[in-house]
Amino acid sequence: MASRTVALGRGRTGRLPGRGWLALALGAALLLAAVWNVWSFPLDGVPPGRKATSLALIVLGLAGGISGLAALARRMTGLVPALLAALLTLLAVEGLLRAYGVPPGLIPTPTRVATALYTSRSVLLGDARVTFVQEALLGYLAGVGAGIVVALAAVRFPFLERGALPYAGLFASIPIVALAPVIVKAFGLEWPSKAIIVAITVFFPVVVNVVRGLQSASPLLLDLMQTYAVTPAASFRLVRVPSALPFLFNALKIGATLALIGAIVGEFFGTTGQGLGFRIQIEAGRFNLDIVWAAIVIASVLGIAFYGVISWLEMRFTSWHASRRQPG
Amino acid sequence: MLVVAAAALLLYWPLMLWANVGAAQRSLNSGAELGCATALACATQLRNPVLPAPAQLGRSLQAMSVPPLAPTSVPYNTLVTARETVVGLLIASVLGVLLAVALVGSRAFERLTLPWLIASQTVPVIALAPMLAVVLGQYGVQGWLPKALIAAYIAFFPVAVGVAAGLRSPDPMQEDLLTTYRASGWQTFWTLRLPASLPFLFTSLKVAATAALIGSIVAEISTISFSGLGKMLAENSRASDTLALWVIMLYGAGLGIALVAVLGLIERLVTPWRAGQSR
Repeated sequence: MASRTVALGRGRTGRLPGRGWLALALGAALLLAAVWNVWSFPLDGVPPGRKATSLALIVLGLAGGISGLAALARRMTGLVPALLAALLTLLAVEGLLRAYGVPPGLIPTPTRVATALYTSRSVLLGDARVTFVQEALLGYLAGVGAGIVVALAAVRFPFLERGALPYAGLFASIPIVALAPVIVKAFGLEWPSKAIIVAITVFFPVVVNVVRGLQSASPLLLDLMQTYAVTPAASFRLVRVPSALPFLFNALKIGATLALIGAIVGEFFGTTGQGLGFRIQIEAGRFNLDIVWAAIVIASVLGIAFYGVISWLEMRFTSWHASRRQPG
Repeated sequence: MLVVAAAALLLYWPLMLWANVGAAQRSLNSGAELGCATALACATQLRNPVLPAPAQLGRSLQAMSVPPLAPTSVPYNTLVTARETVVGLLIASVLGVLLAVALVGSRAFERLTLPWLIASQTVPVIALAPMLAVVLGQYGVQGWLPKALIAAYIAFFPVAVGVAAGLRSPDPMQEDLLTTYRASGWQTFWTLRLPASLPFLFTSLKVAATAALIGSIVAEISTISFSGLGKMLAENSRASDTLALWVIMLYGAGLGIALVAVLGLIERLVTPWRAGQSR
């Protein structure tokens, strides 16, 4: 898809086709040279001359790469420019960290993180399974389910809506970290306590959004249903549920980002020895920052994938909604 | 609203008794001197209850906040955390607005960075806090400032994304009108885009406020700190002092609610034309 847009853009603007790519490749090459220039030195043994060369190469490489990317990004959409930008950044970071001999106990270089990611993959994957599948996912599903049930009850009984809903907004502004230790103490160190934290953090956005969504149904449509003598249940299914879906998905997306954070923060307050949050805390204490960053990379990938799945579902189910119809 | 609160309190009693009775029975069986006869009576007097009895909670609430400005009292530590959070939120809003202006100003910048901004919201940024604290400490930034910086780091993404959406929100008709008036880009920005983004700014600031509070508490937990809610949480979590944890949670919740409420108040003052529609 990206290449098609490039081709279109080229035809429209009549620019020289390869200049952006050329500058980008040149920049990347300069950055690679900067990394290679200081690659094999020990931490504090980089000669000043080499350090200066690498620094100059990094500045030049970044300037070239970014100008090339900027030219490309004007014509390109999608993830490609962002991925290229990340590649450039990683190269520059690697070069800078090596040139200045920053100890890996402070900030590990990207290659060290990648190595740690590979060598301790089995441990990290086990952690990811506990944190994501058991804590985040189960807690998420429980929180969403409970939220929808409560929202339905609140819409059905206006008494509840007026009495209980204001509290939902109030509770939503309680920081998870303040809640987490209490819940871990109350429900034990095993994974259910973390799932409960996740469920609570997901619950409130779902309730507030679903209630708002169910009530956003157009009165005109509801009247129309009444003139057709549709049963209340069918009218609910045909009008209220579809109009609530965009709101529900909004809450689901907010919840997806909160779920992993909730699980990881919960693990800071006690676990049984597995989980990404536990790993991050214990390895940071040992100054094993390679593994810490590797765990963060895994958590990020999981978080992005989770968010992506929810967005994809949103596109499937609410493709008719106005906010999806606009280009871009 | 009050009826529901009363009902919740009434339901809390049997729930609390039910949750604590097992632990009470166990300590009775172990022969500890509890000063009460039956498990049901002991359920309200446990040292480390699963759910504290309201009277217990009230007592420790009073005990932990009585000399309000003593370094060990919760109100003092709440103020410390509040300062970190507010400074962090200020830094975050300045950074976020600048970033949003850049995002809206340049297509290329947007395409290069926006996917990462969105991704960063799904990343557990919390996990970065311990490391940021170590790195900042290495370069001599110590005390309450690194916590504020970590809070800002966590809070500025919601601001940036929200304000960018807000800067794009004006009606195309209004933009066309300004074009017919031959307004320059800056004039359009000041008279149309910026005011249009204000409601979005406040919505995202409310999100950012909670995020910043979480950030500063996590920063306090994961760095060397001598005051603040996070430090108290970490200490009492290690000591398994459940009642203290409950008290700190109440204060943390109060701080979060107060921050959002203050932002709501400022919102009402700054965007009076929306006072009717927004809450």
